[in-house]
Amino acid sequence: MSLTNKEDRWGVEKLRLAFPKKNTMLFKDVSFHFEAKEKILLLGPSGCGKSTFLHVLSGLAPKSIELPMRTKWKRIPERWGYIFQDPETQFCMPYVDEEIAFVLENRRIPRVRMPQLIQYYLDLVQLKLQNSHQLIRTLSGGMKQRLAIASILALEPEILFLDEPTALLDPEGTETLWQTVRRIGHDRTLIIVEHKIDHVLDFIDRVVLFNADGEIFADGPKNDILTRYKSKLDAFGIWHPDAWAGYSGRKELQNTDSIDRDSPVLTLKHFVVYRQKKAQFTAEQLTIFRGEWVAIIGRNGAGKSTLIEGIMGLLRSNGQIQWPFKKPEDHVQFVFQNPEHQFITDTVEDELAFSLRIQKLSDDEIEHRVSRQLEKYDLKNERLQHPFQLSTGQKRRLSVASAMINHPDVLILDEPTFGQDARNTFALLDLFQQLQNEGTTIVMVTHEMEIVRRFATHVVHVDGGRIIKDDCDGYKQSGGAEWVTS
Amino acid sequence: MSKGKNTILNLTDILVTIVIALVFGLVFRLMGPVYDLVQPLGLHLDALLYGIWFIAAPFAALLIRKPGVAFLAETAAALAEMLFAGSGGIVNLYYGLLQGAFSEAVFAIWRYKKFSVSVVSLSAFAALIASIILDAGYAYLPMLAGWNLILYLIFRIIGAILLSGLLPYVLVKGLEKTGVTQSLRPVTKEDYDVLDK
Amino acid sequence: MGDIIANRGKLFFKVNPSLKFLLTSSLFILYLFVHNLNTMIWASVFFLVLYVFACGLSGKWSFGFVLLTLILSLFSASAMILFGKGNTVIFHYSLIMMTQESLARGIMLGLRTFCFSLIGMVFATTTLPVPFFYSLMQQLKVPVRYAYGCLAAFRMLPVMGEELGHIRQAMRVRGMANQHGVKAFSNKMIRYLLMMLAQSIRRAQRTAIAMEAKRFSMTEARTYYYEIGWSVYDLYFLFILLITVTSGFICSSLFPVTPFTNVLDH
Ligand SMILES: Nc1ncnc2c1ncn2[C@@H]1O[C@H](COP(=O)(O)OP(=O)(O)OP(=O)(O)O)[C@@H](O)[C@H]1O
Ligand SMILES: Nc1ncnc2c1ncn2[C@@H]1O[C@H](COP(=O)(O)OP(=O)(O)OP(=O)(O)O)[C@@H](O)[C@H]1O
Ligand SMILES: [Mg+2]
Ligand SMILES: [Mg+2]
Repeated sequence: MSLTNKEDRWGVEKLRLAFPKKNTMLFKDVSFHFEAKEKILLLGPSGCGKSTFLHVLSGLAPKSIELPMRTKWKRIPERWGYIFQDPETQFCMPYVDEEIAFVLENRRIPRVRMPQLIQYYLDLVQLKLQNSHQLIRTLSGGMKQRLAIASILALEPEILFLDEPTALLDPEGTETLWQTVRRIGHDRTLIIVEHKIDHVLDFIDRVVLFNADGEIFADGPKNDILTRYKSKLDAFGIWHPDAWAGYSGRKELQNTDSIDRDSPVLTLKHFVVYRQKKAQFTAEQLTIFRGEWVAIIGRNGAGKSTLIEGIMGLLRSNGQIQWPFKKPEDHVQFVFQNPEHQFITDTVEDELAFSLRIQKLSDDEIEHRVSRQLEKYDLKNERLQHPFQLSTGQKRRLSVASAMINHPDVLILDEPTFGQDARNTFALLDLFQQLQNEGTTIVMVTHEMEIVRRFATHVVHVDGGRIIKDDCDGYKQSGGAEWVTS
Repeated sequence: MSKGKNTILNLTDILVTIVIALVFGLVFRLMGPVYDLVQPLGLHLDALLYGIWFIAAPFAALLIRKPGVAFLAETAAALAEMLFAGSGGIVNLYYGLLQGAFSEAVFAIWRYKKFSVSVVSLSAFAALIASIILDAGYAYLPMLAGWNLILYLIFRIIGAILLSGLLPYVLVKGLEKTGVTQSLRPVTKEDYDVLDK
Repeated sequence: MGDIIANRGKLFFKVNPSLKFLLTSSLFILYLFVHNLNTMIWASVFFLVLYVFACGLSGKWSFGFVLLTLILSLFSASAMILFGKGNTVIFHYSLIMMTQESLARGIMLGLRTFCFSLIGMVFATTTLPVPFFYSLMQQLKVPVRYAYGCLAAFRMLPVMGEELGHIRQAMRVRGMANQHGVKAFSNKMIRYLLMMLAQSIRRAQRTAIAMEAKRFSMTEARTYYYEIGWSVYDLYFLFILLITVTSGFICSSLFPVTPFTNVLDH
């Protein structure tokens, strides 16, 4: 109201928003404006409401996502495109060409022009396919993200909302995706949510900081904000270029004395894992010893998840697999890549208590452990929420927490730190380290080379469905980051 | 929030209804052979199972609570069964249309305000009437021996009430606990009141 | 169904889906008024012939289906055969009373089910969901929101299958699969069902949001990536169906195999 109704100025004033059945507001009187061609980065701790905020700015809430909300003034842009945080939410059609055609249909483009335009948008994001009538499910993670961008470009948007588009991509994929965004974002407005800011910083000109209560506490030119609020950034767990340097967790390569080379916890020989009757992973030989911290690395689609899901017996496999336990399921805990696949109960609390109840622990003991776990993983306020209603980062933490709660002997995790802010990443790493010190063997898939560098005592490098390097002496010896481009 | 707005189906409602219908269509398709196999017992044990065929409409209506949902669900379920090549083929479509319409009518009588066990069971019963009307013509129902016909009808009523009255009610109650129903129902005034704190 | 459907080059694949849909479903109305057993017998023969030539199933599946359908159709008529009304008793034992009339009616019913199953199968195996729903929008003016709803829902099917796998895996990983006993089993089954439903609902919601984020409009006009039109095959189809149906009627009056020209007569 107070502001001009300039054509290309959008945003909200005094936004109030609460989720149904919750008695606290997520946003209380938040105001935010943006103009054409601005490149804005939204930063904030996990769970502070960044994704929800983008929903509001784009008008998806309350139009498609009905939420109790109110604003004093609101101006929603007409032409925008949205990359969702959850990769599974992205697509509405099964085939690549149909996905883009769907947008063209909505824009009422005549049919004759469609095939040519589909090719045009695919070229724009450099997605090269033999035949564009290909099932989206068969694309790798990186290709899917590019397609997602191509399909929103087909909307010819003035404004792009990007909600952590690279959380699941390997370093190379991340790099190329941001290059694409930079190229196509040149004369458009960009509003980006991202925890990892190294790749984004150079083409951003404005930074907005949220605190854990969903308030905007700083908003201004990039350099200004980042220097002025440096200390705050750490406190709110926001990733910044020096975040790792400030982390007090292990800096040096881990010493390997605690590893007991005489007692393997897992031995694989001629191990073949199948997906849909096709051999998708082959491991000739792999031995993991008690007390190790194993990092499984490799590009998107290399077969990392396939390997560990095979180990867990979730996929059909062939060959020899040996545990030193009578009932491995009681000793080994697993965390899925997609946290939603982990959840089988209806509240955060039950999810944590689940395996304890199976063990028939006393109610007091369960209550005690669950509360402690909620505290550690920063989920206190979400205690009674349904796991699916958490933010992406919270889901990830809950899935890890539910696996760690009964102190397993072996913990296998598929990308346990994706989508986390710096504070939670460090907290998780501290917890893993503590577990390891208590004798747990940790096996984790990760794209975060800094974790590998600091913690891994054993690096397994996977590519094309095989182990191409198996280095028992940690990362240094394995020769740096050369794998990224190999 | 005007009242009128809440009664119009939005895209989410339509998609959820159809997906639910599809799940049940799949269940029907898988149930089909079981149903066919108990038939030769002659004692109409199949009639007990018949009730499951009415489940889509009350289930969807309970979930979304808007006009048209019950009819849409039952029709889509029948269409799905047809496209999955269920036994009976095109016949199912007619049954689906009529059952859906009857089911819907019951919810309409209560103006989509009441969704108690009895109303849901009544809607299952209405769908049953629809199926009997069609069966009278298509399956020569009146030509059965009297005692047999009565046995048949009793079994069908029991089946309909259990499988399409109580079962969907229990299932939706279970789903409510999972929280997915929350985002399907209109935002309440209490939810808005939080914003005035 | 990819590997079951053998031949997409068959004529019926090329027929306009709306036309195919309307005509096949109107057959139900037609045969509802046929009470002549001979007509039904002959119709079954001709529809079987049609099925053999037009069905999209590959050979061994195709034969198996006919056999199965025949048996199941007779099953479905069993109540009528064993407990139906009638005067000319053939067989009587306690409650079971088989009469000529009820036998005729039973066979009539069985054949009806048989025919409709065959027709349904021909339709289902030669009609792909995507062109079908596009055609419903374009020829029958089914509102875009319902047709796209159906399209999106059908596209979720394979994902739902995967989802079932994920749920099973989760149960396994979390130790639920290790519990034994009746209670644990029923608990597990209810969990499965609820999780399946909850997941499908969530997926539907997400898809709706994704569609609206891509400016899907339920009301405004749109263009179509696939345009389904008419062709000479539609004429062939019409012709083939007409021949099949009329031959049934003609043969039944020329070569009546049974004396039951109206099974409703006493
Ligand atoms: N449907 C819902 N019902 C109740 N609470 C919800 C719902 N969805 C999200 N929340 C809560 O709202 C808060 C903000 O969620 P949001 O997804 O916007 O966070 P975010 O900042 O994007 O976090 P992340 O960085 O982890 O993605 C979280 O605390 C979450 O638990
Ligand atoms: N559900 C599936 N069905 C069929 N193929 C699959 C499926 N999931 C993965 N694949 C294929 O198996 C191969 C290995 O996939 P996998 O998920 O193990 O890779 P990853 O190394 O975990 O990659 P990311 O870093 O993206 O998680 C890929 O080529 C992928 O396309
Ligand atoms: Mg988020
Ligand atoms: Mg993976």
